[in-house]
Amino acid sequence: MGEESVLALQRTLVDAALMADPGALERDPAGLAAAHGLAGGDQSAFLRFRLRLMVYRNMVRSDLIEPVETTCFVTQALMEGAGLWDECLTAFLAGRTMQSPFYRDLPAAFLGWLAATGWGQDRWPFLLQLVHCELLSGLVTHHPGGDPMEPSQAHPRLSDRLVLAAPTQLVTYGYQVHRVSREAPIPAPGTVHLIAYRDAGGVAQWMELTPATAALLLAAQRTGIGQAALDLGLSDLSEAIELLADFQARGAIQGFG
Amino acid sequence: MAPSLHLESFTGVGLGLRHPHFAAVARDNPGVPFWEIAPENVMGDGGRDHDQVCRILERDPVVTHGLSLSVGGFDPFDDDYLEQLAGFLAFTGSPWHSEHLCFSSVDGTITHELLPMPLTRASVRHTIRRVRELKDRLPVPFILENITYYAELGEKELAEPEFLGEILEGADVGWLLDINNVYVNSLNFGFEPKDWLLRVPLDRVVQMHIAGHERVGDLTLDSHGAPVIDPVIELMQWVLPRIGRPVPVLLERDNDIPCLATLLAERAAIQEAYDAVMAVPVRHG
Repeated sequence: MGEESVLALQRTLVDAALMADPGALERDPAGLAAAHGLAGGDQSAFLRFRLRLMVYRNMVRSDLIEPVETTCFVTQALMEGAGLWDECLTAFLAGRTMQSPFYRDLPAAFLGWLAATGWGQDRWPFLLQLVHCELLSGLVTHHPGGDPMEPSQAHPRLSDRLVLAAPTQLVTYGYQVHRVSREAPIPAPGTVHLIAYRDAGGVAQWMELTPATAALLLAAQRTGIGQAALDLGLSDLSEAIELLADFQARGAIQGFG
Repeated sequence: MAPSLHLESFTGVGLGLRHPHFAAVARDNPGVPFWEIAPENVMGDGGRDHDQVCRILERDPVVTHGLSLSVGGFDPFDDDYLEQLAGFLAFTGSPWHSEHLCFSSVDGTITHELLPMPLTRASVRHTIRRVRELKDRLPVPFILENITYYAELGEKELAEPEFLGEILEGADVGWLLDINNVYVNSLNFGFEPKDWLLRVPLDRVVQMHIAGHERVGDLTLDSHGAPVIDPVIELMQWVLPRIGRPVPVLLERDNDIPCLATLLAERAAIQEAYDAVMAVPVRHG
């Protein structure tokens, strides 16, 4: 027996675990093995261990789903309300986009799969933004950059450019996805600007920004604070400086220079 | 004969370092002989909890235990992962790196589950080649752990002890003997664990694992979610003198993780059992 048979056996087991319909494994495990080119002895083994192979199917699926449900619990509530959560997860697993050796990357794989397939977005046009918002806290909390803080200009001057702390994320959503809950998982439409950052205690925090503040934070990274304020027509520069100093004190801004 | 990996700083009973205990261990330094950490839970991560675990890894003796290499699989080893792993091994100073004798990925899809290898000669040949590649690519000795399995994958040509022994000898690697896995497999497949242990190359044991399990229906699951039961501790005590060296034993707990004080008390009890048996002359047979 050659090593190609080892690969065929491995493919059969993983297919049995991830395929959408468990029927082939439940009703005709020998046929499933035969469909993968396995010989009679292997087919018999699949038949003999049918129930225990179902245990593997359940274990694999449970392992892959658990971090998605832990992170995307509002999305789960949304889809459960429509009776579609299991269908969504089944399609996700069958899509086989789980390709990172890091278990913590599974929710991001779920978001990537949603984006690539468009699954559910006809019904919920805000779906990608909702899932992204649910991932945001983890992205900030676990961001590998930003520690220790680089020395930088402590107090902002008009000529300085702003440097965000590495974990800080500036995001704009078209729906109020930061205000949803398990009980009320459907966001109202409306543009929202958020800054998500890691505070001094290492905890992810977020604040809602006015459009002007969001624009200032973006532009001041490129052109410097004074020029950005001028371009945005901000009349009170001292107020802008005070605002940026506050963001720095919170840990959202690394420094100025 | 296994590579000589016995190190004075790695003996006694260590504890798996888990996320809920990072802060307490970093702060209190509870005096555990050594810790074991999964690189996948630290590499590429950041933030407060990451800083805490890194402080522990810098301060205390640590061995590393991987989860996602898919040693028996066919997907090429991930170069980026191996590069990160090499850096992590250097950072921790781990004396060896262990992984499971299993596969976990196929055609690029990673299942994050320890799936059983076919017990065939082709599987032995393939796994030996993969293990040799890992030995060449890792900066520290590589050792393999026997897994719990619930089904035989395809038609069996070899019994598990022979399958394991041929791979360990053929690849010339050390063995992480998971004594709970032997016990759980004995319940699920109906064999006598001591007979099983007499058929495997105990001279290759570098480290041991011990853990709890749970009965679900007619199957015993290697859940790592319950205290270690006495028969498993007694099996550890039976095999240690037969290994003939004070190999380190690692207590694993991954589910329903209790408070640190409870785990430390369980570790101390297993340490007592370890000390009791290591204090008596080595017997064979």
